Amino acid sequence: MNSLDSNPYGLRDNELSSGTTIMAVTFDGGVVLGADSRVTSGSYIVNRTADKIQPVHDYVWACRSGSAADTQAISDYVRYYVDSHVTSLGRLPKVKTCATLMSHICYGNKDNLMAGMICAGWDPYDGGQVYEVPIGGTLLKQDFSIGGSGSTYIYGLVDSLYKPGMTKEECQDFVKKCVSHAMARDGSSGGVVRIVTVDQTGVKKECLLGNDLPYLP
Amino acid sequence: MSILHYNGGAIMAMKGKDCVGICSDLRLGIQTQTVATNFKKIFPITDRIMIGMAGLATDVLTLDQLLKFNCNMYKLRENRDMKPEAFAALVSTLLYEKRFSPWFIEPVIAGLSEDGVPFISGMDLIGAPEVPDSFITAGTCTPNLNGVCESFYEKDLEPEQLFQVMSQCLLAAVDRDALSGWGAEVHIITTEGVHTRQIKCRQD
Repeated sequence: MNSLDSNPYGLRDNELSSGTTIMAVTFDGGVVLGADSRVTSGSYIVNRTADKIQPVHDYVWACRSGSAADTQAISDYVRYYVDSHVTSLGRLPKVKTCATLMSHICYGNKDNLMAGMICAGWDPYDGGQVYEVPIGGTLLKQDFSIGGSGSTYIYGLVDSLYKPGMTKEECQDFVKKCVSHAMARDGSSGGVVRIVTVDQTGVKKECLLGNDLPYLP
Repeated sequence: MSILHYNGGAIMAMKGKDCVGICSDLRLGIQTQTVATNFKKIFPITDRIMIGMAGLATDVLTLDQLLKFNCNMYKLRENRDMKPEAFAALVSTLLYEKRFSPWFIEPVIAGLSEDGVPFISGMDLIGAPEVPDSFITAGTCTPNLNGVCESFYEKDLEPEQLFQVMSQCLLAAVDRDALSGWGAEVHIITTEGVHTRQIKCRQD
């Protein structure tokens, strides 16, 4: 069966998929990133506590969705290039720089990659920013972004819940609620909700376990 | 994706001491999208026989009606309830009748004879029967279910112990399957009757 429904990412047989729900939201002074933790091979859950939010640099993080192998490789390359760049730059990198590097790798190898990523973080020049790098390698700066197979179920929810100018705590609740909702509906998303909050003071990582999820049918 | 994996689901039956248990998850999906979380896949046939069906949901519902019809006719003709072994043979025959355009289901049958002797049986979609001594599984996570049942099954479990073992096995198995889960239902059939329990589990 070659229908896009059964294999939305066009993965090979047995290839690991971070099927996923990922999102990132900006607030004044930082960003909140969120993701589920399910990695599947077909319908078998290979890892139910995966970490899909990876650091690119101290204050810049990336959410991964699509092929697990492709996104790990891209994330590692971006981290390496940013590290070199910072060594010669001598100061913190711009989030835009990291996101642009990511989109160049994704666009340049678009025929061979299946990766939808969100690059978000804080820098001292422009504050909190979210950049989406969907499949194909577009670069899109947004106030908030959702991605992954589970995101299709929450477009309506995020549109109705999002308000510009939310505080850090409101953003965290927004992310927890939306990711939980997507995990409830999408078979490729599940496990725990991982949240990473990045602002000037530093990085805070949280994990919301199954019984603490705000959404239950 | 196989047509038997379109809606998702997991069924398991296990023998105990003078009792049988049969349990299933409650998810109905359209591939990865979850559509319902209260979709029962286990149906009573008589006071002492229950059948669980994994596979395509439309066939699960249709077969339930077809089997009830056949059992009611049997009861009218013979003036008694069917024995579990006879019911399993009936299911096998009905499935093989559609050998070249099959019902897309995998049935699991659990029952107690008049004397309280436990009986379980499972079949593939065209009716090849298997009558094991221990447990039988069906659905999208049979490798998981088989592994966990093989580890935790013991002979001659009392009804309460059987309930505990079956629940833990089912929950552990469906937690590793993207297409099953969303709650579970366990039925324990003893000479006194059927004790049904719903289990709340991970809703993802």
